[in-house]
This record gives sequence, structure tokens and C-alpha cells, in this order.
Amino acid sequence: MASQESGSTTLMDLITSDPASLPANSALPALGKGTPDPSKASRKPGSLQAAGSAAESLSPARLISPVKTSLGPLAKKKKPVSYSQLARSLHELAAAADQKSSSTQLVHQIFPKLAVYNSVDPSLAPSLLMLHQQSEDRQVLRYVYYYLARILSDSGGQGVTPGGGISTPNWDALADLNASGGVTRADVVPRIIEQLSKEAANVDVEAHAKRIAALKALTYAPTSNDEVLNRLYEIVFGILDKVADAGKVKRKKGMFGRQTVDKESAVRSNLQYAALSTLRRLPLDPGNPAFLHRAVQGIACADPIGVRHALAVVSELATRDPYAVAMAVAKISLSGGALQEVLQLHDVLARVYLARLCFILSRARVLDERPDIRSQYQTILYQLLLDPSERVCFEAIMCILGKFDNNERLEERAGGWAMLTTAILKFPDAPTTITSSAQQAQDGSALPPKAPKERPASRPRRPQALIKLVMRRLESAFRSPIRPVLHAAARVVQEMGKSRAAAYSLRGYAVDEDSHPETVVDSGGVPANASDLASSELEQAETEAPRNKVASFPSTSGGKETISSMLSSLKEAVRTTVACECVYVRGAVIKALIWLQSPYESFDELKSIIAGELSDPSWPASLLNEIILILHARFKATPDMAVILLEIATLFATKVPGKIDSDVLQLLWKTCLLGCGPSGKHTALEAVTVVLDLPPPEPASMPTYHFNKRVSAADPKSALALQKLVQAAVWFLGENANYAASEYAWESVTPPGTALMMLDVDKMVAAASSRNPTLAGALTRLERCAFGGSWEVRLVAAQALITIAIRSGEPYRMQVYELLQALAQGGSSKSMLDMASNGEDQGATGTGLSSILSPMIRLLDEMYRAQDELVRDMRNHDNKKQEWSDDELRKLYETHERLLDLVSLFCYVPRAKYLPLGPTSATLINIYRNRHRIDAASGLNDPAVAMGISDLLNSQLQYPPVHIEKNEPLVVGLSDGLWTGSAPAIDLVNEFLVGAGTDAPEVEEENVLPRTSISYDDMWAKQLLEASETEDAEVQSSGSSSPESVASYSTTTSSHFGGMGYPSLFGGSGASRFSPWEKQLSSHPTSRVSNLSMDSSSDQLPEFLATSRMGAQKQSSSFMGRMDSFGNLPDDVLGRADDDEEPQETPQFGKALYDFTAGGDEELNLTAGEELEIEYEVDGWFHVRKKKPGRDGKIAGLVPILYVTS
Amino acid sequence: MCARHQHNGNILLDCFQGVQAEERLYWRSFLVKIGTDNLNGAHNEELFVASHKFVYVIYTTIGYEFVFVVSKDEYDELALTKVLYMIISSIKDVCKKAPIERAFLEKYGKVCLCLDEIVFQETLEHTKKIAFDN
Repeated sequence: MASQESGSTTLMDLITSDPASLPANSALPALGKGTPDPSKASRKPGSLQAAGSAAESLSPARLISPVKTSLGPLAKKKKPVSYSQLARSLHELAAAADQKSSSTQLVHQIFPKLAVYNSVDPSLAPSLLMLHQQSEDRQVLRYVYYYLARILSDSGGQGVTPGGGISTPNWDALADLNASGGVTRADVVPRIIEQLSKEAANVDVEAHAKRIAALKALTYAPTSNDEVLNRLYEIVFGILDKVADAGKVKRKKGMFGRQTVDKESAVRSNLQYAALSTLRRLPLDPGNPAFLHRAVQGIACADPIGVRHALAVVSELATRDPYAVAMAVAKISLSGGALQEVLQLHDVLARVYLARLCFILSRARVLDERPDIRSQYQTILYQLLLDPSERVCFEAIMCILGKFDNNERLEERAGGWAMLTTAILKFPDAPTTITSSAQQAQDGSALPPKAPKERPASRPRRPQALIKLVMRRLESAFRSPIRPVLHAAARVVQEMGKSRAAAYSLRGYAVDEDSHPETVVDSGGVPANASDLASSELEQAETEAPRNKVASFPSTSGGKETISSMLSSLKEAVRTTVACECVYVRGAVIKALIWLQSPYESFDELKSIIAGELSDPSWPASLLNEIILILHARFKATPDMAVILLEIATLFATKVPGKIDSDVLQLLWKTCLLGCGPSGKHTALEAVTVVLDLPPPEPASMPTYHFNKRVSAADPKSALALQKLVQAAVWFLGENANYAASEYAWESVTPPGTALMMLDVDKMVAAASSRNPTLAGALTRLERCAFGGSWEVRLVAAQALITIAIRSGEPYRMQVYELLQALAQGGSSKSMLDMASNGEDQGATGTGLSSILSPMIRLLDEMYRAQDELVRDMRNHDNKKQEWSDDELRKLYETHERLLDLVSLFCYVPRAKYLPLGPTSATLINIYRNRHRIDAASGLNDPAVAMGISDLLNSQLQYPPVHIEKNEPLVVGLSDGLWTGSAPAIDLVNEFLVGAGTDAPEVEEENVLPRTSISYDDMWAKQLLEASETEDAEVQSSGSSSPESVASYSTTTSSHFGGMGYPSLFGGSGASRFSPWEKQLSSHPTSRVSNLSMDSSSDQLPEFLATSRMGAQKQSSSFMGRMDSFGNLPDDVLGRADDDEEPQETPQFGKALYDFTAGGDEELNLTAGEELEIEYEVDGWFHVRKKKPGRDGKIAGLVPILYVTS
Repeated sequence: MCARHQHNGNILLDCFQGVQAEERLYWRSFLVKIGTDNLNGAHNEELFVASHKFVYVIYTTIGYEFVFVVSKDEYDELALTKVLYMIISSIKDVCKKAPIERAFLEKYGKVCLCLDEIVFQETLEHTKKIAFDN
């Protein structure tokens, strides 16, 4: 670090500048000397020997390395110096008469140990305040201010304090003190504030060091309190007024060119610095002219850190009120002004804030009429590109690119790219001699001075294209061996790519990249400038700044170069950085490359880089997921990239399925599918289906066909993840195939050609695939999955198939129907099974899906039957030339609604448009709707309809005879829900896009180290608990071999799966989703599309609820294949089911009739004869609570009604 | 902003500012992980970088200790590099010798004070060397 000019001293120096010096260190017992004997210490716990010697005290190591102590009573016994002892000692020493010895004790024994506790409790405040008043020892005072600040900032909760130290088990004691001790924070905080603010307002010059320290401590006070705030403002402005009135600190040129200041000025600048530092931490007051005025004055502060704070405040203010700030700063922004001086200030952060300020002001719309002012700021900003510090230069590049915060608008980014590629940094023709210390001598020429690094002898600089400067700077940064520099440079390139993408996407910002940037720079001019930079003496601290800037690039020596050639050479530089061994740097590089990729270039190289990187196991999951989020952002910026991005995403899916968040990946699939337009849809869907072709992990160790161990034996985590991903892909396919294929049942107005229906299946399939290859392809894939995947995949595939069947018109529905039939029968497709099987046990029932398939088949049966009936009825009416009576229409409409409800159980359909009775029913349905003013969307659920009121209303609602809109795809309906929903993946992506993702990374479970530090046990407890739970689930599932327990394993995973947001109707225990508990489960915010179906299905009229429940019950009963007696449910079950809405108040008791083995997470094992408390009933299941936990540890869960006497 | 020292997995000192209490747990485990993954066998004061979304982490090792600084926004990798150097040099000054655990603990209180000077309420205060006299 460069040494500071002597004029400004640090806060520390001020406090320690007291002439009274402390006794030498050697005079004091060293804390750690002589290994402290814990047993000795523990012999006198609670000893009041405050003046105890070193032997009494324990090395803080014992206090702060929790490993050595063990938690619990034992640890507490072994702890010789407890917090309460320290606190007591502090009280006594504060009151001691012998100040000298007590302060020695305090500084060397008490205070350092207290630091270990992170904070102190309010009961110490009186003693601290006493010390504050009485003590003259600067060391004591430093600690006193430190602890007072801790007390002020403590927001009550333990461990929330921002101080040092770590919380140890002693925190319990501290917390107790806090709670039960007589002194509370509320008591002491006003006293502390009172005393400190009195000191801070002390104008005595001699006391100014204490004044500054008090002010600093005061800033920790909660600023939510208006009174405190006003007081602070008062003090700060008091100081600033005084300092400003006294005029600017004159810097005199002392001996050897060093600046010296007289004492008075030094005091003044210190005070100003302290006030500005406080001001920065106070809430902004944008409307207040005094606030702005003082902050702007602060830019001229003699203390660089004061300048930094002032600039930070001003740039913050500029975002609120750019005009006022621009006017206020304009005076000092001219050459020779304080703002120009900042260019040479060697505080890096001050220059960073300067860049921000100039950026805000140069882009401010309100300054449109003052182009002169704007260009002034712009020039300063451009000059910062030449800054020797990478930090400042990169900040300037980011600002020019329009990146300021993460909420910048697209136009700003696009404008930023245009500016970067076209703007030119001009230097004045006649260079004026500037020395680093005499800027005041500047003549007031129109143009601001050139970059401050100019040395007197240097020759005039030629105008430079910004893009060249930037490219050179970046390329040299990429040659740096220092990882942070590489990371930062890659980040800058990312931002460049982002702005470039924005420029491409907006009209009017397109930059011709084959053009030559307007420049007259010859190759000679470049090194001259670069050597200026490199030889800059001002920033000695920038030791990491590359020294090899002078080296020119072979590519640049060829004279003029185009933007695209510069970009490609930059890309090359970025690419070589992939060789860095730091995975985070590589991550940043890949992100940068993704942003630099344009939709029209070949992306083979990018693909191979990513593929290579993904094979490296050292990539952490969080970083990989971030890259997927970048893919999202990239897609958002350039939807044309959909197909490229999908292919990249596929790399992730195939190479690291275990590490990525399949929700986020799915969302990417979805957005890309939506975004790639009609032509790309097929490709997009294909990209997803690639996942389905993935070989199971570790194929070498695949068990043989009859070997009943699961794949998970090899690599359980990645096998499970891959399976999850495949499930997700299958689900996605089912959910979106109709969109991709633009095939919707409700968009065809005509009934399926009868000729087509007459064909046999093979011909029908052939005809269908020729009509819509996308959908046919999806069906084929799903068919394969339904026959050949693992049980979980087959399950989802069946659900996907029924979704497609419901949403598609003929002949696809018929095709799926045939397929489902074949699946249900199992054996008929042996050949396919052999072909596609991955060697897994297919289960006793062939496909193992019959229980799931039967409700689906029944639904389709019912639909076809109802359609047949409708055709028959219509024919009858036609033949008899009879109008449909209202009664007949009502019956028809009720059938329509009932089927609609059933359909909604399986997947989302637009209720207003979907016609389960076929397109021909539209006319009749609409007649009935119009007649009774039924809103198509809410159907009979509309209370007005249910109560018969709607008939009385003279509503204008009219449906056309045939109510079908052709151009509104299903997805429009879905996408509303998709983007407004609160699914974590969506939140994640949205947060990421607006840059809000600053939450802590999650460390992958298997990588969490076995923690040795037990003091955190409470924090780890939750994780451990969770981990053990999952372990339990796995043990439970993998230790069994019967088909039933395989099913139970699957149920477990599929209920995880269901939690991920799939409409897994049969996940969990297999009960219907109308139960309150299930509703709770499935209203989990993750469900996206299923949410919609839930919504549409969950608010139904009681009568429909009853019927749909009946259907659902049938499903659940058929799912539970082993419980055939379910069909003979007592009639009152339905009635009881209706009462489920109100939880039963009086407990009901029962007794288990038979043994029952739980088949899923929610279910409970029963032993015949067990006493149970029945909590509620759900569709044939009781939720019961046992008197005591069973052998498996579970106490409550679901059991079939028939197993319990009530 | 957060700075922290760690020795053999024992956290000697950590200081979080502006980090939610519940987030700290994650940050701790994250830092422990990247530290043990990368810092064993690293050179003294060799800089390492990590990031998570918009948060940057710069870390290094001195002696047997790991030092991490974490922040975001204007305190990016490069600014944090300065902070890290600053912290290290202050600690060396305070400890007056190689900052081994013993020396560090002996000067624990001073180290806290000095961190407090460098990082003041989520903002960087001093990047220059602060003179500590014992």
C-alpha cells in the first residue's frame, strides 16, 4: 500500500497520538504464556479475582476454538474465564481507584477476551461509560468506543452483531444476561447516545480525536430512530459548516515536494473526513440542498477517504436527482476543479465513485439541454479508462457499457455498446504541463486536462478510439497471472457481450462491426500511451498491474482493424483463460463466452469448451446452476439463440445431471420453446428429448436383468438425479408437445374424419405422423419411455401420454388410447419391452402401471361414450326435427362439466374452450350457457349460476354459436401462470435477471465437511436432521426386494418428484388430491402448470366435487390394487368426504383391525389391535395418530378406513 | 461484507456485516469448503477467487491460516484484493511476527479493533496501512 501523505492521519493515529504511552508489552503477562491449566482454572469457577494474573486467565484459544472444548455441561465446567467473570472484572476495574493498573488489566486481560464474544451485553454499558468519562488511556478508550459501538449496533438477536469474534457456547450465558439482567438495551442506548453525542459536539480542538472516535461509534446507533438521526445530522452538519466556512485546506508544497499541512488544517480535514464518513452511513436526504451542498464540498476534502465518501454520497444522490447534482458539481468539474483532482487521487474507490458519478450525469435525461455539461462528465469518464488501476478502468468500462446497477434498461445497454464502439477519447492539441501536485495552475481551456498520468515531457496524444483502449486493456488483463484480475476481466467481457446483445436486439443501435473505428492511431501511438500508463508512479499500490502493457499484439500491428476482428482477438484471449486452474475463473470465462456468442456464428467451439469443462468433476453445483441462469439471461437478450442455448443446456443435462437444478433447466426448456418461434419448435422439442436417450449412468456396472439391485448402487446421487431429469423431460414433453406441434383438440372445428377413424391403427399412425411429425415424434418417444423406462419414468410417461391424449384431437387421442390399452395389458408389447428395457425388473404386472392407467383409460372411455351418445342424440333430434329441450341441454351441459372436471384432474385445459364432448357439442353447450348466463370459465362453479341468480340477471354475456378462437394457443393461458407464479425456479431466474441473487450459496450436501466445530451445533442440527431423513428414506427403500416395496420406493421418490411441481396425480400415498392435506402439499409453490389445474379443479360446486371425488376415489381405490374391497365402500363415505372441509373438532377413537404395511411416506404401519385417534378422513383413508410411536418411529399417518374400527 | 480467519477448520474470527443471520450458516460452510478444497498446499498470500451470483470472495492463506473476504457491488474482486492485503498486513503488524494461531490469539482484541477500522459498517474505510503501536 502506498503510504499516505503526512497531512492526513488516520482515525487510529489520532486516538493513539496521546503522548502518554503505554507500558511496554513485556511488562505484562503474556496471555498465552504457560499453557493454562484448565483443571486449575475450573477449580474456581466464578472466581471474583478480577485482578487475576495470567495463570488465572485462559488463552483465548480455549475460548474460541470450540473444537477443543466439547459442548454441554462439561465444556462449561472447563471454561475458566466465563463471560460473566469478565463482565464482573470489567465492572470492578472500571470502579477501581488505581487507574493505571486497572487500565493495564483492561487492555490486556479483559477487553481482548471480551472480543471473543463478538458483542457485549447492555449491562456492561454503565461501566464502559464510566471508563469513557474517566480513562485517559488511549488503548482503553479504543476498546471502550469499540464496545459501545457494538452495544449500539446490536439489534438484539445473538450473533447478529457485525463485530468481530465468534459466538461460542458462552453466548447462552450472554443471552441469559440479556434477558434477565436488570439492564436492557433500551435503558442504556439513550445514555450512550447522549454521552457520545455530547463528546462529538465538543468543539475543543484538543479533544478532536475523541470527538471523531465518538462520532464513529455513534454511527452504529440505530438510524431508524428519528431523534438519534436528527442529532447525528446536527453534529455532522455542525462540523461540515464549520470546516467549510474556514475555507479549503491549503496544501503547501513542503520540502522534497511533499505536502505538508499546518495543524489546524489537519484537524479540520480530519473532522471533515469523520463527518463525511458519518454522512455516508446516514440515510440519504435527496431533497435537502444543504445535504447536497456539503457532500459536494466534501469532494474537495483534503483526506482521500473523505473524498471517497463524499463522492459515494454524491453519486448516490445523483441517481435520485441528477439535475441538482449536475448543477452543484458543475463548478468543480471544470479543469482545475476538485473533480478533476480526483482523477489523480490515489484512493481507488474514490475514482470508482467518480466514474459512477460521471456516468450517471453524462447519461441523465434531464441534462439534455446542457450537452456541454454532459460532455464534460463524459470526458472524465473516458479518461478513467486510462487509469492505472484495473479496478477503476473496469468500472469505467462497465459504466460506458451502461452497466450501473442490475436494473439498467435495454436502451442504456445498447447505447453503451454503440458508445464504446464509436466514441473517441480526444486529447487537447497543445499539452499543458501538469505536475501531479499543481493542477491549480491549469489554464481554463474548454477541454478538461488530459489524463493525469501525463508527464511533462510527453508528446501530444492522438485521439483514441475507446474500443481500442478497452480491448488492449482487457487483453493485457487476460495475460495477468492473478486470478482476481482474470475473473474481473472476464466479468467485464460478459458485460460487453450483454450490451452488444442489447444493441443487436434494439433497432437503431446496430453497430457495423466490420467498420474501422474512427481513429488515426498508428501503431506508434499505442505503446507511447501504454508506457505512460505502465510507468505511472502514482499508484504504487497497483503492483499487480501488468507490466507488460507495452507489448503490442501481433494482430494489432497490422494497422487498421475492425471491431469484429478486435472482438475475435478478445475472444481468443478469453478462451485461453479457460486454462486457468481456478474453477471460478473458468466459470466467469464460460459466462463471458456465452455472452459473446452471437446467434449467427458457429458455436462448435463454445460447445466443445463447455463439454470439456463439464467433464471436470471439480465444478461446484452452484456455479453450474449459475451458468444455466446465464443461459436464461442470454436467451432473454437474444431469443434467436434458443436452439444454441438448448444444445448447451443439453450438455449440462447429459454431463452433469446430478449437479444442476432440474427446475431451472426445465424453465429454460420452456422459455426456449416459447421463444424460438414456430420454425424452431420442433428443434426445441427434439433438444429436450435428447435427454430421454441418455444411457443410465454407469452402464458398465449395470446389473443384469434378474439382478434386483437398483442402478443407484453404483452412483446413487447421479443416478437419482438423472432419473429425475428424465422424468422432468418426459413430463415436459407431455406438457408441451401440443404446443410445439400446434395441435389442440379445441382448435379443430370439425369432428375427425370418419374415414380416418375407420382405418386400422397402423395406418392411422402413419396418417397422423405425416400430418404432424412433431407430435408423432413426441408420442413415439413417450411410448418408448412408457414401455422401457424405469417405473418412475413409466409413470410420468403415462401421465404425459394422457395429457397429450386429452389435449390433442383425433387421431392422436385414439392413438394414445390404443397405446394405453396396450400398456395396461402389459404383455402385448413384449417385443418392445425387450428392445427398450434397460434391464430393470419390470415388476409383476408387466409395466407395473395398470393401476395408474385404468383411470386414464376410463376417462377416455367415458369421453368416447359421451361423444357417441351425443352423436346419437343429435341424430335423433335431427331425424325428429326436434329442438333440444332445456332439460336435455342441462343434462348435456352437466355431462360436459363433469367430464371437464375429470379432465382437469389429469392436466390443465382451458375450461372455457375445451369440449370433452367433441367439437360438435359447441353449439349446444353455448346455447345452454347463453340461456342461463353461465360464464364459460367458471362454469357451474359460479355462485350466481349455482343459486339460479344468473338467470334473473340481464347480462350481456353472449357466446357465439361456436366459441373457438384459433389463434390463442394453450401456452398463452399457461404463460400467465408461468411467469407470475412463484415457483422457485422462476423466482431464481427472475432474481438473477434483476441481479438480486446475493444469497449465500448452498454447499452440496456430500461436500459439507464433517464439522469439528461443535459450537455451531444448533445451526447444523437442522441440516443433519434433514440429511438423516433422506438417508432413512433411502435405506427404507433400497433394503427391500418385493415388488410392493419397489413401489414404495417409487412412491417415495415420486412424492419428491411431485414436490418439484409435476402434476403427479398419483404421487404420495395414492389418495386423491382433493384431500385437505394433499391440497396443502400440492399448493406448494413449485407447482406451475399443475397449479392451474389445481385451481380449476379445487373450486368446484359441491355436487361436482362429490362426483369428481367419486372419480378420484375410484382412481385411488384402483391404485391401491391390493385393496379390492374398496369398491364396496359404505355409501356414507361420500357424505363424509364432503365434510372434510371442516376439520372435525371432537377426536374420534378407533382400533386397528388388521396389520397394515405403509406403502408410502404419508402412510402409517398398523398392528392389529392398536389404539388410534382418528384425526380426519380423506377419501377412504383415515389420518390417525397412535398413542405412542411405532417401531418405525412414526406416530401419525394415513391408514385405509377399512383397517380401522371407528 | 464479511472477513474471516480460519485455522484447521476452526474459525478464529469472523465478522459479518449486512449478512442475514440465517445466511451466515451457508456462507460459513461455503467458505470452509472452498478453503479446504483449494488452499491446502497453496503458496502464502497466493490469491484465490470465487464468486456466487453477484457476490465475490477473495481468499488466501498465510501460514496455516486462511483468510477470506466476501463482498459485492463496488467491492469486487479487485477491491477485495486490496482489502485482503490490507487485512493481512495489519494482522502481521499487530502480531509482529508470522501470524500463527498463537500470535493471532494473543492479539485477538487488537485484531478485532483493526478489522473494525478497515471495514466499517459494510464499507471499506482504510485501504492504507494503519499504524498500530502496541
